[in-house]
Amino acid sequence: MVEMNLNRRQFLKLSGAAAATLAVVELGFNEKKAYAASKELKIAKATVTPTICCFCGVGCGILVHTKNNTVVYTEGDPDNPINEGKLCSKGTTIRQLYTSEKRVLKPRYRAPGSDKWVEKDWDWMLDTIAKRAKETRDKSFVEKENGMIVNKTEAIASLGGAALDNEECYLLAKMMRGLGVTYLEHQARI
Amino acid sequence: MATEYVKLVDVTKCDGCRACMVACKNWNDLPAEPEEFSGTVQSHKKTTADTWNVLQYIEHENGKGDLEYLFRHSSCFHCTDAACEKVCPENAISYSKFGTVVIDHDKCVGCGYCVQNCPFEVISLKEYKDKNGKEYKLSQKCTMCTDRLEEGLQPACVTTCHTNALEFGNKDEMLAKAEKRLSEIKGKFPNANIYNPKGVGGTHTIYVLTEKPSVYGLPENPKVPTSAVVWKDYAQPIGKMMIGATTMAVVGAFITNNIISKRIKGKEDGGEGHE
Repeated sequence: MVEMNLNRRQFLKLSGAAAATLAVVELGFNEKKAYAASKELKIAKATVTPTICCFCGVGCGILVHTKNNTVVYTEGDPDNPINEGKLCSKGTTIRQLYTSEKRVLKPRYRAPGSDKWVEKDWDWMLDTIAKRAKETRDKSFVEKENGMIVNKTEAIASLGGAALDNEECYLLAKMMRGLGVTYLEHQARI
Repeated sequence: MATEYVKLVDVTKCDGCRACMVACKNWNDLPAEPEEFSGTVQSHKKTTADTWNVLQYIEHENGKGDLEYLFRHSSCFHCTDAACEKVCPENAISYSKFGTVVIDHDKCVGCGYCVQNCPFEVISLKEYKDKNGKEYKLSQKCTMCTDRLEEGLQPACVTTCHTNALEFGNKDEMLAKAEKRLSEIKGKFPNANIYNPKGVGGTHTIYVLTEKPSVYGLPENPKVPTSAVVWKDYAQPIGKMMIGATTMAVVGAFITNNIISKRIKGKEDGGEGHE
């Protein structure tokens, strides 16, 4: 056995070094704390918004979890009597309506006779649509047919897309009926 | 151990909608993996590092000359005696308190032993690049949504399944359910069986199958490779002991040497001490 004949200075040096090492180990490698911090549930601080699936006529309820201005998770709404928390493979993908890289973010315009899509800003797009809709409607509006009031135009048609939700479809239908559009369709019924 | 949980897959109720596959990608933020059409309705050949569960569409002739699709939700089995856990040299794979088998990516070095030794071929390596452009690999597989279990939620695939082909719950409860279901379907499917292989100590994903496991592409009697047991239970501890002993000897020698030499030096200097 080695003779531990330490003087006071050596003893203090050694114990100081030991204490410092322990302190570093304690601070630097608190695995449990680091683990807990990195493993927070990804929907823990998310805002939950109920919606209705846009894809088919069943109308399943969906909960959308949003955080930092993006959708982090979507799941079937367990409180919805229609789907009771379940979803099909397509309804489960609804998050990608917002997050997909393929999503078109700006309006595109293809002029009559052209074979190219051109990006336009919203102001130009809305003005042009309004102008042309009014022009076409004024030209083609029928007030009476066979003595009956019909107030319709057959020169305009509306085709709702697969990614429109319940509320958007309602507003679209309202507006189109107001214009007198009779050819009013939606993807889910085709 | 807290309550052990089991995912029960009843293939007779599955309609092959693949919502479980999408729900898994959705929860775990896994990217899509488009694959070429390979002549079958099945979307992916097998599980990969970014596709943790695959719905198998097995084309089966049912003896009457008719073609039948056998559906099977295939993902990690979460074995009770997991070969991957045994072979991992970094102890990166462990059992959670729920009985699930999870990979700690801080410890994983991407050696791929688990990939080679998994009897069900459900673990895959994925290549990543760090911020300096250096490539590294990590093993990936189904976690049974252990992060969700910790918050009292069920796995994402189970919550979305609209036919209840996937069910999740207490181990004993699920086993009883499987037995009950087996007795119900025995008449219609004489080859029906419960797949909960004993060679790996039972699993935490249990199947009610309508045909023999081999028809579903499953090993009839999966086992933890003997080499893995020898490596983990004998070779590694002995090796570690030897490394430990060597380290202790080196460190011990260094410290004692240091102290002795200092003491001698101190004596020679003629009293630096203040006793």
